[in-house]
Amino acid sequence: MHIPDGVLSPLVSGVAYVVSIVFLVYCSRRFFAGAGFQGAFTDTRERVSLVSVTAAAVFAAQMLNWPIPGGTSAHLVGGALSALILGPEGGFLALFLVLLVQSLVFGDGGITALGANVLNMAIVDVFAGYGIYKMVTSILGGKLRGKQVGSFFAGWIGIALAALVCGIEIGSSPQFGYPLAVTIPVMFSWHLALGLIEGVITMFVVRYALLHAPETIYIGGGSS
Amino acid sequence: MNIPMKFLVIIILIAVSPLFGVIGAEIVGYHEPLDVAVDTASQISGVEVKEVSYWSGILPDYTVPGVNNVTGYIVSGFIGVLILLVPFILRRKM
Repeated sequence: MHIPDGVLSPLVSGVAYVVSIVFLVYCSRRFFAGAGFQGAFTDTRERVSLVSVTAAAVFAAQMLNWPIPGGTSAHLVGGALSALILGPEGGFLALFLVLLVQSLVFGDGGITALGANVLNMAIVDVFAGYGIYKMVTSILGGKLRGKQVGSFFAGWIGIALAALVCGIEIGSSPQFGYPLAVTIPVMFSWHLALGLIEGVITMFVVRYALLHAPETIYIGGGSS
Repeated sequence: MNIPMKFLVIIILIAVSPLFGVIGAEIVGYHEPLDVAVDTASQISGVEVKEVSYWSGILPDYTVPGVNNVTGYIVSGFIGVLILLVPFILRRKM
């Protein structure tokens, strides 16, 4: 889902950059203020440490591009997963760092599209994924089963919504040959199918963490 | 040396990543879905989406000059992980 240079119009790029910077400031302030955290998460240094390790793990997981017959590929994005491990603000910061390193060091995702890539993967996937998790657990309850189902839907729908926003961005850019009527359904339906894998991985990682070290993740014991 | 589980997972992911990112790519011949979409859009609409790159990175496409693609992918992976672990390393030294 990494948008390269040359695909987005200057207007779309600019708006996405502004939104991303606003979120960067908002999330950094909330994260470093420690609002809403408890347990090990009340220690700022511990939170920073967790963001760092989670970002490294997401970066490593994103290097596993699964070949899909037909000439394309998919990889884990990890936005919703990061939100469940670190909280939405910490999840944003982890994905932001991953996307920054990918763009600046490896040219993965265009420098002019960095704002849009942050908007899709670090904002929409993270915050929508977390919101979906909260919605599902409010219906099914906050025990292990509810958290597992919530994690699955967070990973699955989070990535599909991120792709939908990506479809809006590229469809709104005259440089890209297709109109919104094409880009939105194509991006959304394609990632709705691929997102099932993201949902399953998110669910299993969360299940493992909840069973073995619940205090080290936000939805286990880190949120007040 | 006792390597914590989380770092073991990261090391394993990086070690096997060329199977997916390089060897799999050579066998199946794939690209990022958006790259495919850009090519398709250009062919169907006739609108040329210019190949533009304002910054290709220090190690473009996870390659390292002078080494083969598999080794370069692994080295790139470890470099990326090390950069992202800087806050963790600094926190341990505080």
